[in-house]
Amino acid sequence: MQRINPFKIILVTISLIVTGILVLAVGSLFLVPTWSDVWTNLFSKEMQFSLQLTLWTGGISASLVLLFALPIGYTLSRFDFPGKGLAKTIMDLPIAFPELVLGLCLLLVFGNTPLGKGLEKLGFQVVFSKTGVVEAQFFTALPYAIRIMKSTFDYVPQRLEFVSRSLGYSSFETFRKVTLPLARNGILAAAVISFARCIGTFGTVLILAGGTYMKTETLPITLYLNMSYGNMGMALTSGVILVLVSFIAIFIVEKTEVGV
Amino acid sequence: MSFLEVRDLHIALGDFQLRGITLDLEQGDYSCIIGPTGAGKTILLECLIGFYRPDRGRLVLEGRDITGMAPEKREIGIVYQDYALMPHMNVFENIDYGLRKKEPDKSVREQAIREMTASLHINHLLEREPTTLSGGEQQRVALARSLVVRPKLLLMDEPFSALDPGTRRSMRRMMREVIGRYGTTVIHITHDLDDAWSLADKVAFFRDGELNQFGGLDEIFHRPANRFIADFVGVTLLDGVVLDCSDGATTVKVDGFALESLDEAEAGAKVRVAVRPENIIVTKELPRYISTQNRIEAELEEMDTECNRCVLTLRAGKTRISVLVTNNALEQMEVTPGDKVYALIKSANVSLV
Repeated sequence: MQRINPFKIILVTISLIVTGILVLAVGSLFLVPTWSDVWTNLFSKEMQFSLQLTLWTGGISASLVLLFALPIGYTLSRFDFPGKGLAKTIMDLPIAFPELVLGLCLLLVFGNTPLGKGLEKLGFQVVFSKTGVVEAQFFTALPYAIRIMKSTFDYVPQRLEFVSRSLGYSSFETFRKVTLPLARNGILAAAVISFARCIGTFGTVLILAGGTYMKTETLPITLYLNMSYGNMGMALTSGVILVLVSFIAIFIVEKTEVGV
Repeated sequence: MSFLEVRDLHIALGDFQLRGITLDLEQGDYSCIIGPTGAGKTILLECLIGFYRPDRGRLVLEGRDITGMAPEKREIGIVYQDYALMPHMNVFENIDYGLRKKEPDKSVREQAIREMTASLHINHLLEREPTTLSGGEQQRVALARSLVVRPKLLLMDEPFSALDPGTRRSMRRMMREVIGRYGTTVIHITHDLDDAWSLADKVAFFRDGELNQFGGLDEIFHRPANRFIADFVGVTLLDGVVLDCSDGATTVKVDGFALESLDEAEAGAKVRVAVRPENIIVTKELPRYISTQNRIEAELEEMDTECNRCVLTLRAGKTRISVLVTNNALEQMEVTPGDKVYALIKSANVSLV
């Protein structure tokens, strides 16, 4: 007979209790609302607006995030340059930052400043606008995507790139033909995580774009506004959609087997 | 002008460095680089191929200065210990990868790949994924990929060290054949002296970032420049004084006994005597008729068995001598440590360094 190991039992118990509470919490989101209610709310004017705004801002932001995370992740993984440590820390900072503070910082830079005014002249009104939504989502999700891309590129052996160079391919050709194809799973993971982070961004969007009804109203804002009006049905509906997207995202990331 | 000239190469990379490396190779040379770990052997290859730029010095290949040239322009191939095959390509695509950059015509490429893979006996693997191959097969694919583009110079970084001994032997045989046919100039880093024995024309010995000795196979293995190299390549190196040199034979006095060599030296000169362990015969009793000129009475001190052979350590006076014998021979001799034995060495096998 196997001996009883109290240490193991205690640790497993703690893990199971916490998992249980989480399951209960997430489950109640699906059990509390009536489905006909969710269905009706889904087609309300406000929800339709919020859903559409969330999807297209999330799509644009996630694409932009990928566009920047790819080169930055590769740079951090492969090259040494003065100030690399500092750059890495700064880019990781928003992960530990409260979203609200990040929003405040962005507001200070892009608000009533020469930079903000310059952008406004070019037709980009950043603050309290849909551009602001995209920007808030972009800066919130970027650090996560950079992390995933860096660790993905760390796992692509540099020797394969060396061999490719020795066989006549330039560094850019090598990146395209060797590094990128081998980073495919990581890119997929980064895209999914970025999209999930973007559409779930609340604090940054609230501060930078303002949580304005039917103007800069994304799903988390819908949840927040309707909670404060006491309109539980709408709040729960946005919650359900956000959680579903998260589930799908985590499921895809698990499939890609990328260390995050 | 040599085919490859390395001139006063200096580079420091973290813990590894190279200092003042100067080396010349001729076209078609097969050179092995040996030396302890951390000697800077791999950095030399990576400077040659262009992944690192030397801090000082020049690299010239076929009269062209390649010191600052991009790796893709150098036409130098590399084969690593871990094969470095592209996991997202099958065997054919791997071998075709470099070739399709040079040759647009697919049928010409296919022909070249079929020839190359036939000579390396991997033509039945072309459709396979690299991960499904054995180590030896993967290494042959890596070799085919490097050779099929006909590089001017092929660099190999411990290519056989992850293979089992049997595969290693057949890889060496194949290397000799293929390299011979294509006339490729090769620099091959190895820890396995057997690689050098069976493949190299020239051997370079690196230690602590410096090139200690560079010369023909015979030179390194029979006349090591210093005690460290002698130990590394398993040669017994003894200090002695030349007693006499006449009639083409030199007698050297070494700690209580004399050795005769065919190398010339002046009487009275201080010399070092190098003897390879496999060139010494050990007997318990002196045979009646004996052609070897050197007979040393010694005590058998230690016996260390390695694979199918045994290293005997003999002691004559204060001198220790290593001898390599097969286990078979050892059994027939019936000796145990402490026994009195004779070491017999031909004059031709006694080198003066």
